[in-house]
Amino acid sequence: MADLQRAGICFMPLTDLLIGGILLGGVYALMACGLNLIFGVMRVINFAHGDILAVAALSTVSIVVGFKLPFWLAVVLVPIGCALLGVLIHLLILRRIENAPMIMSLLATYALSTILVNVAILIWGGGYSGLPGVLGGSVKILGANVSVSRLVSFVCAIGVSLAVWWLLQFTRFGRAVRSASQAPELASISGIAVDRVRLATFALGSGMAGLAGVLVAPAFAIDPQLGSRFIIKAFAVIIVGGMGSYPGAILAALLLGVVEVVGSYFAGAVIGSAFLFLLMLGVLLVRPRGLLGAGVRI
Amino acid sequence: MKQLDPLGVFAIALVAAGLVPLLGSDYAVSFSIQLLIFLVLAYSWNLIGGYTGYTHFGQVAFFGIGAYVGSLLIFHWNVSWYLATLAAAMAGAITALPLGGAMLRLKGPFFAIGMFGLARVLEAFALGFDGITQGGTGIYLKPLNDLKPLYYVVAVVAAVMMLLTWRLDNSRLGLKLLAIREDENAAESLGIPTTRLKIGAFVASAVAPAAMGCLYSVYLGFIDPPTAFASNIELTTIAMVLLGGMGTVLGPLLGAIVLSVVNEVLWANYPQIYLASVGVIVLLAVLFTPRGLVNIGMKGGWLALGRPLFRRPVQPASQSS
Repeated sequence: MADLQRAGICFMPLTDLLIGGILLGGVYALMACGLNLIFGVMRVINFAHGDILAVAALSTVSIVVGFKLPFWLAVVLVPIGCALLGVLIHLLILRRIENAPMIMSLLATYALSTILVNVAILIWGGGYSGLPGVLGGSVKILGANVSVSRLVSFVCAIGVSLAVWWLLQFTRFGRAVRSASQAPELASISGIAVDRVRLATFALGSGMAGLAGVLVAPAFAIDPQLGSRFIIKAFAVIIVGGMGSYPGAILAALLLGVVEVVGSYFAGAVIGSAFLFLLMLGVLLVRPRGLLGAGVRI
Repeated sequence: MKQLDPLGVFAIALVAAGLVPLLGSDYAVSFSIQLLIFLVLAYSWNLIGGYTGYTHFGQVAFFGIGAYVGSLLIFHWNVSWYLATLAAAMAGAITALPLGGAMLRLKGPFFAIGMFGLARVLEAFALGFDGITQGGTGIYLKPLNDLKPLYYVVAVVAAVMMLLTWRLDNSRLGLKLLAIREDENAAESLGIPTTRLKIGAFVASAVAPAAMGCLYSVYLGFIDPPTAFASNIELTTIAMVLLGGMGTVLGPLLGAIVLSVVNEVLWANYPQIYLASVGVIVLLAVLFTPRGLVNIGMKGGWLALGRPLFRRPVQPASQSS
């Protein structure tokens, strides 16, 4: 992919490909975990998730290049902004169609995705931009050249994904989220405000997409259509990993990152990224619950 | 109060469609071709999305298959455009049959994601195999001198789709499809062959879009992957069905006319916000008129009661999950 070449990964030996793939997978993991979390608790497939990422990446470019503010400020501000956007989306749209058939939430988020893309084009224009100056340079790992921006984004993405997992497993809030996703009625009988848990989950998921966007900005070429390229990969990740399974999503993200990089190396950029979708279709047909999925019933 | 008969409405629409090329300007013919193409897409989507209740985000895949099969035949072998359209329709049916068999094993959001992904895969292939498809450069076809024959073909297909939907709405077959939408397991247990019917509805909803894909590329005189697999075609189609009323006879007609006019006005005056506003229309329809505009007519008593979405009491989210 043009994105990959820009990041300066030189494609030769297998270790290079593997490391490049795993680093790419980190960002997919963060994005897919947010998507998965939202699906688990709300039973909503958020087609606009990728566009939140794109808007976050474009905002980061604006903050760093346009307003000349430091990058770390964007790392703090943009995810918060995206979480607030998530709160708005939940309050204005998703909460009102909670009890409607699933087709309504699918249509609503699909429409929302179109709106976000086109508003982004209105604000930032349709062209590519990026942050070439931030986190430049490269380091050697196991003999492979790895760009610093990739490494930092991988470490942050996996770190936050694992932190959210810890949050879900070991805190009071996490227990509330898990019970609201497994048995909403019992949860509300036990005194959990399911409505507020859903709001918090959607905000958290959107914030994770926002952080993924910030991390993507120094490493990839950014444009308003970025979201539609990423969302399909995030879908592939959560389907291969198993819908609703958090560790499955992280594992599948790393796997698919490798598949994409290796596929692009051998079959060319466009067909290479199609491998992901084919893998996803294959898993959908052969094992719809995914590698580690518990078999969520829809 | 006297109720409107769908057949009467169709007759009026047909007469109006017949008058356009006789009385209207070239612009009117051109606009009507677009409207009718979307009308056909909307009625096709209504079969699988409205009646059978499967959220189908991949209809544009068949539109694109038809566009490419047709344009490649015209481009490489100089086939005349109506034969190419027939071939495109057949290509739609031939690809839809195995795809339907595979994809319809998926339910709800899985089917939506799968079909959404499929359209993107096909777009990637159309870009990637540029030896055959010319990739991103696109295929240029000889523009038609006279759009009227094209217009009549599209109008006839639209009329056929409307009549088919009317027949379906008044048949046991239609009721069986609605039963699948309302509760697939219950339908299965009543002895309805759900798999066969779903695949049938899926194939039926793919044939006409494939033909329209070919006619659209002839109409434009050009096709490239982003045009053939455009997600805004998908969104506009769904918006029309949703706005008019999913799973109704008159809904897609109403939605297509209203939205085509709105789109034309927006496109002429505010091209930069056109797509975003289609999205806003879908959102507003989801929030405020999920049963579509025809529901207003049903409440007012001048339309026979149909079976738009949510006829049964709404299930709480907790049970449906």
